[in-house]
Order: sequence, then C-alpha cells, then structure tokens
Amino acid sequence: MDQSYERQNPAFYALIAVLVFMSVGPVLLMFVNSFKLDVDIIGGTSGLLFLPTIQNYETALCDVLWYEPDHMDFCSLKFGGAFINSLIIALISTALTLVIGCMAAYALVRFRFMGRDTVSLTTLMVRMVPPAVLLVPVFGLWNNEFCLDKNGLLGGAIRDAFGGRGDVCLAGTHTGIILVYVAMNLPFVIWILQSFIVQVPRSLEEAARVDGAGPFQVFFKVVLPLIKPGLAAAAIFTFRIAWNEYLLASALSDRNTKTVPILIVNNMSEFNVEWGVIMATGMLLAIPPIIFTLFASRQIITGMTAGAVKG
Amino acid sequence: MPKIHLERLVKRYGAVEVLHGIELEMADNEFTVLVGPSGCGKSTTLRMIAGLESVSEGEIWVDGAPVSHLEPKARDLAMVFQDYALYPHMNVAQNISFALRLQRRPKAEIEAKVREVAEMVGLTEFLHRKPGALSGGQRQRVAMARALAKDSGIFLFDEPLSNLDAKLRGQMRAELALMSQRVEKNMIYVTHDQIEAMTLADRIVVMHGGYIQQQGTPEDLFKRPVNKFVAGFLGSPPMNFLDGEIQQRGDGIFVTGAGFDLRLDGPVAAAAASHGAREVTLGVRPSDLRQDEEAPAERALALDVKVSEYIGAQSVLLCECGGAKVMVEMNSDSRIPLGQSLHFAVNPTGVHLFDRQSETAIH
Repeated sequence: MDQSYERQNPAFYALIAVLVFMSVGPVLLMFVNSFKLDVDIIGGTSGLLFLPTIQNYETALCDVLWYEPDHMDFCSLKFGGAFINSLIIALISTALTLVIGCMAAYALVRFRFMGRDTVSLTTLMVRMVPPAVLLVPVFGLWNNEFCLDKNGLLGGAIRDAFGGRGDVCLAGTHTGIILVYVAMNLPFVIWILQSFIVQVPRSLEEAARVDGAGPFQVFFKVVLPLIKPGLAAAAIFTFRIAWNEYLLASALSDRNTKTVPILIVNNMSEFNVEWGVIMATGMLLAIPPIIFTLFASRQIITGMTAGAVKG
Repeated sequence: MPKIHLERLVKRYGAVEVLHGIELEMADNEFTVLVGPSGCGKSTTLRMIAGLESVSEGEIWVDGAPVSHLEPKARDLAMVFQDYALYPHMNVAQNISFALRLQRRPKAEIEAKVREVAEMVGLTEFLHRKPGALSGGQRQRVAMARALAKDSGIFLFDEPLSNLDAKLRGQMRAELALMSQRVEKNMIYVTHDQIEAMTLADRIVVMHGGYIQQQGTPEDLFKRPVNKFVAGFLGSPPMNFLDGEIQQRGDGIFVTGAGFDLRLDGPVAAAAASHGAREVTLGVRPSDLRQDEEAPAERALALDVKVSEYIGAQSVLLCECGGAKVMVEMNSDSRIPLGQSLHFAVNPTGVHLFDRQSETAIH
C-alpha cells in the first residue's frame, strides 16, 4: 500500500462514528434482542450476556416450519401467508408503478399537449398529500363504492369462485392495496424518471426514427435502456414504501390479505407485548428489501449515456 | 429525372416563417451541399427532408412521389447527425446493425453487412467497443457506418464534421470525398463551413435568411456570385468590398470611390454602363490583387498595408483603402514593408460589381 491517506480531523471520525452508530445501532439491537427471551429483554439484565435462543424465530415462523416447536401449543401467527401477501403487493405495485410511471414521464417530457405543465406540477403536488388524509376517503370508496353486485355477472362469478358474502369490493383484496400504493408512488416515480428522460439526447431518438424505429421501438429499444439507472432507483424506492407501509394496509386488508408489518403489530395486545417475536419478525421483514436493493442497485451505473453524443 | 424535388417548401414555427418557399431539384447521385450562416434554415430544410420536422407548406418529391406526410422510416434515407447520436448502450456492431435488425433481415446478411461497412470506414477492430470507449473521430466513423449499412438511396449529413478538431476534420473531409465517389447515392450535406462545401459538393446551395441565394457548381458560385452575400460567403479570405460609383469619362467607364479610381473594360464595363443606378459596391477577391508599383493608377488600388498574417506558403495582408478594410493574398516569399502605401494591380477578370441598394450582382 503506497497510498497515503490525508490525516483527518479527529472530530470528523467522531462524527462518522456517531452516524454509523445511529444507523446500525437499532438494527443491531433488534438482531440481538431477537435471540433473547422476553424475560431477558424486559428484565434489563442487559448487555450481551444471555443464552441465545431461536425460540422467537420459531414462534414467528410457526406456520411454515415443518416441525412443531416445543414451547408453543397453538400457532396463531401466519407469517408465511403475510409474507406472500407482502411480496405480491410490493412486487406488483412496483412493477405497475414503473410501467405507468416511465410512460407518463416520457409523455410529459417529450410530447407537447395542452396542460402539460399543469399535469407535471400537479403530479408532484399529489405527493404532498399525507397518506393518513387519503385513508378515510379511500376506505369508504373501497368498501362501498367500487363494488361489483354479487348478483351481477362478474361479481357473481367471483363470489362463486372465492366464496364469501356481500358485494365484491376492493376492500380487503390485494388489488385494492396495490391500487393505493401505485397511486401513492406514481408522482415521485414520474418526477424521478422525468429528470432521467430529459438527459436522453433528442438526436438519439431522431436517429432511431430515421433508422426505421416506430414510436414504441424508440421508447423500448433506445430510451428505456438508457434510463435503467433511473428505473432501478425508482424501483428501490417504490418497493421499500410498498413493503413497509402500515397505515393504509392495516385499514384496507383483511385476515387473508394482511401484510407483514401488520402481522408484527398483532403481537402487541393489551395483556402482553411479545418483544422477542416482534424483533424476530422485524429481522425477517428486513431481508427481502435488502436482497431487492442489492439486485436493483447493480443496475445503477452512472454515465450510461456517455459516448452517445459529443460531450 | 431528378431524384429529390423540394417544391416551394415553407416552414413556420407559430407565426414566424423561417423558410420561405424553398425550390430545389437534386439530380440522381448528386452531392448537394446546403451552406449558409447559422440560422439560415439549412438544417431545418434537411430535417424536413428527413421527416423530423413537419412541412408547413409545399411538398417534397422523391422519385416523383410526395413524401412530406411520411414518417422518417418510410422515406428510404439514412442520416448522420452533428453530435453522432450513437446508441450508448449498444456496441459498435449493434449500432451499425440497428436499422437492419429493425428490418428483421437474416442474421448472416446483417453480419456480412456490418463487416463490409466496418472495413470501409476502418472500424473492424472496434466492433465490440461501446461508443463511450471511442475517440471523436471513431465515433464519427461509426455514425457514418451506421448510415452506410442502411443501404438507402438518400444520405443526409447534418454538419457531421463540426465537432471534430481541425486536423481530423480535414482528414475526414477527404475520406468523405472518397466515399462519395465510391458510394452511388444521393447525398445532401449541411454545413456552415464554406471550405467543406467547396471541396465536397457537386452542387452548392447557398442559403441565407430562409431563402436560397444561389445554387450551382462550386466554380460557378465562386466565379459568378449573383449577389454580395454569396460573394462574401464563399472563398477564404473573403472578398473585399469597396463602395463607389460608376462614372463615364471620355471613352472609358470608371468605378470611383474613396482611394481608388478603377477603369472597367470588357463585359464588366458594358454591364456597368447599361446599369441604371450609379451607386455600386466593387468586389475584388484577395487573390485577384497583385503588388505592382508600375501598374497604372486606373488598373490598381492604392492600399495602406497595416498587418501581414503569415500562414505558410501564403500571407494575407490586411490593408486599408479610404477607410475600408482590404485583404490581399500573396506569396510569402515577397517581402512587403508594413505601414506604407503600395499599389496593387487588379486582375481585370476578377472585378465584381454589385448594386449598393439591392446587393445583386451587376456583373
């Protein structure tokens, strides 16, 4: 190593240490506590001196384990189902958001139409509305308005296939939650992708048109590959939000469609807070976004358009 | 039969008309250069031919068929862009074959074609590189190869050399000239550089302010410009202009102004005599002036030599004649003392006269 490092101010290192502690600390705490019994956690016989146990994970994962854990006699947590719900909702809403978002962003950047600037501005303003404000009207709409009559053709078919009573409504379905997430994330995704599409030189699209590409070929073969970093960033963002969202999901899901964050809160009751299980589920909850981020961030290569045009 | 015909082409952006009825015919396999200062409408004209700009009025005919309503892909043309416009996510081979792949040609044919054009422009060993890893000149070649691979009848160039440095530009210009001889295509080339225009063109079209000023062979335009703009635009260093008036004295016709009194003869004199207005602008190219102290005053200009610019074999003298600037091109070997008034003989066949009001050529 002949690389010499410039001596930094000690305060600089102290600041970094504090920042690292602040971001890693809670994760570490959660990790450690997920291997403790509730007694150890609450007892405050603190520190790292305890007998590690996987009991919490067994409890959290009881419905997917192939054996029945000794310490429990009834499996009340349906982690497997909730995990699959979370995956379905997060992945589909991310995919939908990206597809709609990149097309909308492209149209806003490249096409001239009446009210373009207004549309561009209002999409971002929608983003300013807090989800809690959305909750009440959406809850009402999903439960009472956007329903198919159970005696109707389509509604009847769905009722026959899936069972249940009452009209077929969006409330309590994956579709209902996915729609809300798409609506919630779209403005930001459009906004992010707009800034990426603006950077694609117009002459590239013109060259493609002269080369014989139709509008869709120009979009899919030239523009889309060039904004891949933007798509990856937007995907990480939407997936994370959809995966972690609690408020809307708690109101709009039912027993069969609830997501993992709601499952975690179910461990709190008026009699008991099962900290160990909460921590274990939290650790499990964190895994998919990490994998997703690692995968997506590989697509973020800066300087994608280098060499396209004379710089 | 002319291959491309622009019929009274008009382009408007809102209320602003930028092209005013362009009328142009290009013969088969002709190298046409549109040249003019920036903002003269030459690029707009090219982009209208390409289909990248809509036509406000008029029609573009290719082989007798109207095409102005067609999408670019339906027009059988290839284009080289000023900024190259290479697809950065594709390597050189993919860039070149993009158009062919869109046409779903057989794979073997595409490969053969890519190899052929890559060899033609000297890119064979770079086929697997991305454009980002190429130099400016190589990118330029890729852009050229991409257009060549398409095998279309019309080739459009939108200032393809303007982003290269001077040396590379000269080299690419020569290669282009060579290529245009080998490839039998209808080429339309837009540039603001009159040297490119003069060296490459079969036919030059000089544009200014949205109008075609003059079109013809390079020699035609250089020797017989129809107006002051064309005369001043083509040629380097540019033509000298001196304001004067036509006078008839005795048996001779003279053009007289501050610091000169030149006798006209031959066809110039006849044209000047029959011209109504007396106020004219005299135009003489720097290469039509030759230092000669013995020359009679009525055949020469008396110039105050201010600066000598040494270029190599040639030098350009910056002089003054009655307040107007005059440039003289001459052999570097002859020593010219600066700061003196010297006589320069005017080549009688190099005298141009322009009406001062309308700026059109009298002769």
